[in-house]
Amino acid sequence: MTEPIDTSIYSAVTAAIQTEAQRILAAGLVTAIVGYAASRRNGSTQPIIVTDAAAAEKLIFTPASVNNLALYLTKAKKEIPKKGKIGIVVKGCDLKAIVGLMGEAQLKRNDLYLIGVPCAGVLASTVQPSTALTADTIASKCTECDARLPSDCDYVPNVQLPTQPQLAGKYAVEIARLEALTPAERWAYWKEQFAKCIKCYACRQVCPFCFCEQCLCDRNKPQMVDTTPRPAGNTAWHIVRAMHLAGRCAGCAECERVCPMDIPLNLLNRKMAKELKELYDYEAGFEVNDKGPLTTYTDKDDQSFIK
Amino acid sequence: MSRIGVFICHCGENISRTVDVERVAQQVGKMPGVAFSTDYKYMCSDPGQNLLKKAIQEQNLTHVVVAACSPRMHEKTFRKAVEAAGLNPFLCEMANIREHCSWVHENREEATVKATEIVGMMVERVKKNRVLPTITVPVTKRSLVIGGGIAGIQAALDIADCGHEVILVEREPSIGGHMAQLSETFPTLDCSQCIMTPKMVDVANHPNIKLYTYSEIELVEGYIGNFQVTIKKRARSVDEDKCTGCGVCMTKCPQKKIPNKFDQNIGMRTAIYIPFPQAVPNTPVIDRENCTMFKTGKCGVCQKVCGPGAVDFEQQDQLIIEAVGAIVVATGFDLYTIDEKPKGSLIKGYGEFGHGKIPDVIDGMTFERLASASGPTGGKILRPSDGKEPKQIVFIQCIGSRAREKGISYCSKVCCMYTAKHTMLYHHKVHDGQAYVFFMDARTPGKSYDEFWRRSIEEEEAVYIRGMVSRLYQKGDKIIVRGSDIAVGVQVEIEADMVVLATAIQPQKGADTLAQKLGISYDKYNFYSEAHAKLRPVECATAGIYLAGACQGPKDIPETVSQASAAAAKVMTLFSKDLLEREPIVARVKESGCVGCFACKKVCAYGAVEEKEIRDRQGNLIKTVAFVNPGVCAGCGTCQATCPSKSVELDGYTDEQIVAMIESL
Amino acid sequence: MHPEKQTHDFEPKIIAFVCTWCTYAGADLAGTSRMQYPANVRVLKFPCTGRIDPVFILKAFQQGADGVLVSGCHPGDCHYIAGNFHARRRFAAFRKLLEFVGVDLNRLQFSWVSAAEGGKWVEVVTDLTEKVRAMGPMTEFKELAMEEQWSGAINTPELKEAYSQI
Repeated sequence: MTEPIDTSIYSAVTAAIQTEAQRILAAGLVTAIVGYAASRRNGSTQPIIVTDAAAAEKLIFTPASVNNLALYLTKAKKEIPKKGKIGIVVKGCDLKAIVGLMGEAQLKRNDLYLIGVPCAGVLASTVQPSTALTADTIASKCTECDARLPSDCDYVPNVQLPTQPQLAGKYAVEIARLEALTPAERWAYWKEQFAKCIKCYACRQVCPFCFCEQCLCDRNKPQMVDTTPRPAGNTAWHIVRAMHLAGRCAGCAECERVCPMDIPLNLLNRKMAKELKELYDYEAGFEVNDKGPLTTYTDKDDQSFIK
Repeated sequence: MSRIGVFICHCGENISRTVDVERVAQQVGKMPGVAFSTDYKYMCSDPGQNLLKKAIQEQNLTHVVVAACSPRMHEKTFRKAVEAAGLNPFLCEMANIREHCSWVHENREEATVKATEIVGMMVERVKKNRVLPTITVPVTKRSLVIGGGIAGIQAALDIADCGHEVILVEREPSIGGHMAQLSETFPTLDCSQCIMTPKMVDVANHPNIKLYTYSEIELVEGYIGNFQVTIKKRARSVDEDKCTGCGVCMTKCPQKKIPNKFDQNIGMRTAIYIPFPQAVPNTPVIDRENCTMFKTGKCGVCQKVCGPGAVDFEQQDQLIIEAVGAIVVATGFDLYTIDEKPKGSLIKGYGEFGHGKIPDVIDGMTFERLASASGPTGGKILRPSDGKEPKQIVFIQCIGSRAREKGISYCSKVCCMYTAKHTMLYHHKVHDGQAYVFFMDARTPGKSYDEFWRRSIEEEEAVYIRGMVSRLYQKGDKIIVRGSDIAVGVQVEIEADMVVLATAIQPQKGADTLAQKLGISYDKYNFYSEAHAKLRPVECATAGIYLAGACQGPKDIPETVSQASAAAAKVMTLFSKDLLEREPIVARVKESGCVGCFACKKVCAYGAVEEKEIRDRQGNLIKTVAFVNPGVCAGCGTCQATCPSKSVELDGYTDEQIVAMIESL
Repeated sequence: MHPEKQTHDFEPKIIAFVCTWCTYAGADLAGTSRMQYPANVRVLKFPCTGRIDPVFILKAFQQGADGVLVSGCHPGDCHYIAGNFHARRRFAAFRKLLEFVGVDLNRLQFSWVSAAEGGKWVEVVTDLTEKVRAMGPMTEFKELAMEEQWSGAINTPELKEAYSQI
């Protein structure tokens, strides 16, 4: 039996979200709230858009509240009212994405009512939604989470986060393992991973930062990246994607969650985040930055790799 | 379908010696899209160019590749020739098979293969070249000059004399700046007022100069040739049109004990005042903080005595918008604050020298006012504490300057010379006095400068002590100055009556705020940055904005005046044509793809990227996209490499052109 | 004076992305100074290293380059103020990414070569050519390109189980 993770606060969190949602909808502070609701499968949740105070009771928060709802503010906002403030339920990792989107002029703070969730972790995509949260079933990203308590939100339920068992950072371990290999071994690893890719672009669809109207990888004049799902094009796609997310990715790991072929995509993003932290002391956080690490510079940046 | 003409140059034998040019021409001739290919002895010669022009016309060519020397050498030549033959010049590319091939390889076979590939690469590139029309930007032939010191005055007069209107904005009530405060100037010792005031009057009288004093820049919008500047004209409380400058108001004002900033606060002025007798404009201003009327609502003496009725207590600050085509920034300098540590600054004060505590420790500018015939002492060197003539005076150089531990590592450039001048002025006025100077080095490059410095020692009897002062303190009515003479290796102690500190030159307060309004860059000290330290010393990287004087770095008067005239010349060059013409190698935004993340704006060093709102017919905002101002863009392409969706594209270096080249290899 | 030309079994293809103001001019200087270097390099001229997109490097490798050189102005010399500073960060990040997916960074060289450094251009190009020659052809991307079909291997227990249930 692996170490259980205490998620007892989630019922209090759910109650608090419902009360707050009802209050702000009734008071007309927001026109809609994006949150989680129970889904048909046992224990699962699905995103919901609540526009009526009476429906606020549908909102819940459970270890199966895996989605990054930030997506519903930008790319997937078809059902979101066009006028008024929008409330949104955010975990720390999701908030980082929203903050990143604000830095890239895709969202405005004033248009949002942020309901922050004190989060003990959510389930990995590979387990059933009704599974209990343990050190084994927790999502990889949660093992290295430094943002369990969102800050600068409009509302955060007043509950005490339980102490967490020490979890080994799954990405850190895997990155270290790959870094220790030879280039040829790493190439073989990624070749096998990327070979699985079916170019469904689910990773792109779900990524809050893939907000380009026309993706570079869909262009054919000139064709920068082969669009067919063949190994050469797949590899190029994932390299270009990781590069475009470098210094922007907030670490929500949605790409990895939705990948039907289980390609460890967030590993690339975490590796880039690690490098940018080491090189430029940059990390995605709760503070809106004017510029990211790759849109600014200092005259003293490392150039040990340049002859 | 493109009909490309390829012309392979022998360059005498420079190319043909190592490259089989006939074979290259033959091979390239088989490439799809190539309609004509030939080789010729000297393509750049007249017959060579004529061959090119004739071929364009006879063969109906659509694109041209000239394989010859480096494009850095002859690209302009061939693009002109192509243009003369009726093609857009940007449909011509050069393949560098001399510097990059025939001259650096000996093996004929290898060089020929490489040359063929280079030409092939350029053929693929040129297929993707587009017609690029020359960019023209209309130019408003009016100039803004910010700062009315000697730099701003000189620039304004030069531009105005050339027939263009100038808007001169000065923050203080009078123009003149720091130069008007000086007593005499090195290395000729002519009186500053005598050479300065005529220029100030010229500004006032010039039909092409519109002067705004007591005014500041509020907002700058637009770009080269087309700036809109909002100027905040602060309420003077005196109607400039009505005032005759008679000065009765000043004589009657009951508030007479207000320290005058122009006199470094050692002289006094009234609440309604002009900072100095030769002020331009000669219109007083009411200092509302010290005026009894503004403080208590009772007084109004100035208004009662004013014949023309010019005093207006109700006057409000005004915002004025001016359209200009060029901006000269000449905001000058400020002296290093010795006694206080500026908030948030790396710079540390010099509390140990007692400035601000010991009344007879003064800075160089205060000495200027003491020595000035129009100053508070009428030109007599008298101690601020008791009005006695100092018989022993100590000058200390490099206060702040070249002192990394105090936060400034640069040399203020003028202090060596003005300290030498001060010793002379002192000797001229106090014949039996003795001047001592503590110095690190004497830096005197400049015409007649070293002679001047030698004179202060050899003829004017100043004693120069190489070393720094460790401590200053008051003892009775003397100031004890302790320091080391490192040339002799002894400690020295001087009982001085007065100490003058040669404090460092710093940019004006608020220089950074103004830079942000203008969109120009500045260094860590807030000095404004020129576009290139050697080759573009008076231009800002932001097109249409020029620098003059000490706002760019410490400078003396001759240098400031030269730079001001240089900046004026740059403005006049811009104004010499109705339309500004530029090479069309600039970035363009494809609005349909742009999602407005503004990464391009973040990396643009020129501020060429603006935000543009796209609205539907009802005026509803659809989205905000980037817009690259072609008048400002310098064509580096950093925006395109940064744009994730490649919705901004650099003409002349498009992704299509580059990918075509990579794919050809 | 003219040493016997060595023959090699393998001539690497080197693609150089350079800025026009410094490195391209430096390469011109090498030419006007009649310096000699291996003929393997093909130079693509950009206005500034700031314009060089990491995708071009990827494209060059996919196109069969055995080595790639990116070269521009020394820090502080950029004709466009800061293009090379932006490039420096971009490529510092990109090379880490390539390294992580298994590209041998010995094939990717970055350098600052000024307009006055014809000699340095020769040295950089010669070193890279010889280094890559010793390493042999860059086969990774070429092999990928040869694999026409999706090679989705059913190699995880979940996939195997799912497959068996179809």
